[in-house]
Amino acid sequence: MRIRLTLGLTDRPGALLKALEKIAMNGGNIISIIHNREQLAGGYVPVSLSVEFPSSEHFERAKAGIEESGIPVLGTESLERRIETVIIIGSLSVDMLEKVFEGRGEIISLEFGGGSRSPHIRVMFSVSSEDRQAVLEALEELAEKNNCVLVSEEA
Amino acid sequence: MIRCGIVGYGFLGKRLASYLTRYKARGLALTILANSKGYLYSPTGFDSDSLPADIISHSGFRASNPVEVIGRGLVDLLVVLTPTNVYSGEPGLTYVREALKSGVDVVTADKGPLVVAFKELTSLAGSMGVSLCYEATVGGGIPIFSLARHSLRGDRILSIKGILNGTTNYILSRMHFEGLPLDLALQEAQMMGLAERDPSLDLEGIDSACKVVILANALLDLNKRLEDVKVKGITQVTSDAILAAKELGMTIKLVGSIEGGKLSVAPRLVRLNHPLCVHGSLNAIQFKLEILGDLTLIGRGAGESTLSALLSDIEWILAQKEASKGGR
Repeated sequence: MRIRLTLGLTDRPGALLKALEKIAMNGGNIISIIHNREQLAGGYVPVSLSVEFPSSEHFERAKAGIEESGIPVLGTESLERRIETVIIIGSLSVDMLEKVFEGRGEIISLEFGGGSRSPHIRVMFSVSSEDRQAVLEALEELAEKNNCVLVSEEA
Repeated sequence: MIRCGIVGYGFLGKRLASYLTRYKARGLALTILANSKGYLYSPTGFDSDSLPADIISHSGFRASNPVEVIGRGLVDLLVVLTPTNVYSGEPGLTYVREALKSGVDVVTADKGPLVVAFKELTSLAGSMGVSLCYEATVGGGIPIFSLARHSLRGDRILSIKGILNGTTNYILSRMHFEGLPLDLALQEAQMMGLAERDPSLDLEGIDSACKVVILANALLDLNKRLEDVKVKGITQVTSDAILAAKELGMTIKLVGSIEGGKLSVAPRLVRLNHPLCVHGSLNAIQFKLEILGDLTLIGRGAGESTLSALLSDIEWILAQKEASKGGR
């Protein structure tokens, strides 16, 4: 799983190394490191790391290790994208669907079927694990409002 | 001798009665056959050749409310096979309640009383020191509650999902494999005796929702009612939508689920290689357990297979009685 970790580092040599050790010890593979020196806040330099972890347990252990070594974790964000399919039975406009995904996912394909008598839309989309539930709930609400049925995927 | 009564002498009642006549040698006599209008009584127990085809036209028929039979102390074990009313629970609810109050063990295939008053009835059974068994109410012959009671007792069930209604599963399967529209698949199910003349409880997901309520209360120790289930049935599902799922290696199934304390029934996209993806009138139920992980059971969910569950409950009660006798 790919995670973006934002750490608050003191601007002294060796601080980053301590955090990287904890990540490496837990199987993390670092994809990128960005220092935000101009966003210095409270004496900390926010450092944004994109890391690939073997599992969420590995990530949690690494995060706990970093915090135990005195480095504050200012934020975490899942960069994992899931590809999902839903079928909406009934009729909805493209605009309505696009609104659901604004800022939290991306429509990969929209296929309209069933003609005018029994219309349906097959929607394939990508979404982060964090936003998945909210997107499905928004789709369900939209379907219900428009007398449609949302058929989502069983995990 | 344990005296057993059956309330509800329809197809299932007759089939069960014919099995129970074989239990005489094991100390169980079938002494009461009742329906909502009255009862037949045999103090020594019915035999296979004395079982009537119909009780009302029998010369020994006594018009009475079954509640009176229960109150008179004529039975030690009552099997309730009444028609289901999921909103009032009646008439089964009164029979189950009165039997438990009178210290009578109860086996029921009627979901109604459990959907309406699960906690009340299980607490009543507990306080009276009698058994209330309901294996036949969910998944027909699939041993769900007895499995949980015996084999899964060291583990913890985290979530449950399943295909719990054979009628809708048959309809959706015919739509998937033959491209039939829903109304034709329904007519076919009705012709085969798989769907009621009024199929709304099945199609609208209410029957599945009742089973979800019983599972949640019995296995996850929740206190849920039918109105706590978010229900969406299959009435709007089209064969074109199923075809759109099929193109991606999936199909549409009516799935009941209990996850994170939330109960729902809804049509879902299920991969064709998913363990829950069973076809025809089969039922499937999947537990997620803390230690064991996923466990899926598949079996026939209705009709004669229900007998297997009823007999399993009766055997359990006989074993309990035997054990308590030995302990004395």
